[in-house]
Amino acid sequence: MAAIDHYLNSVIQQARLEAFDDGSATLEAHHLLLGIAVVGENAELIAAGLGYDQIRAALQEEFEHSLQTVGVSAAAYHLPKPTRVGDPPTTLGASAKLAFDRAFAWARRKKDLRPVHLLLGILQAEIGTVPRALALAGFDRPALLARFSGEPA
Amino acid sequence: MPPELSDPADALAAVAALRRLADQLEEAAVEQAMRDGWSWPEVAEALGITRQAVHKKHAKRLIEAGVSLRRR
Repeated sequence: MAAIDHYLNSVIQQARLEAFDDGSATLEAHHLLLGIAVVGENAELIAAGLGYDQIRAALQEEFEHSLQTVGVSAAAYHLPKPTRVGDPPTTLGASAKLAFDRAFAWARRKKDLRPVHLLLGILQAEIGTVPRALALAGFDRPALLARFSGEPA
Repeated sequence: MPPELSDPADALAAVAALRRLADQLEEAAVEQAMRDGWSWPEVAEALGITRQAVHKKHAKRLIEAGVSLRRR
């Protein structure tokens, strides 16, 4: 198995755990982003201020902010956390599929695929949870894209 | 009062977040109800869905979690 396959497999395995913890039936782009932050090849992410804890905080803020726009407070509910047992989800959700499609488009050929391409595929989304979370947390997504791609914004 | 939703991006994000919150609430509430001795038909009626649907969605998880379930 090529190094990139090992890397993607590790990211997906971590993303499955993130989705499972989230109670999500599918792996979404933000789970992949958390997976990247855990698995490695993440020194540049951390240097950009996007460590695991920062990403989690940004995602939680986006969730709470989105609920607040319709007058709902996630903190208003105090039910115990449900027990999570069984197997983490394996199905890729729409946002994760798009992230992979865009990652492969960055690489042009599969053998050219590198870890950064998945990150770029995630950051390329202009709509959805990840870009909203990054914007709310004060990150300049186009600047991050430029930084990680090595191409001017 | 929340501000009026004029930006469709905010409205669509709210839909996604509400679905996620509803799923989380359903998981927690069904588990709590079953631990309190509710039956599948009671939980299903409270959620407004069929007994088969609620059973299919939650039974495996609750059994593996060690919750003792009432058959009826």
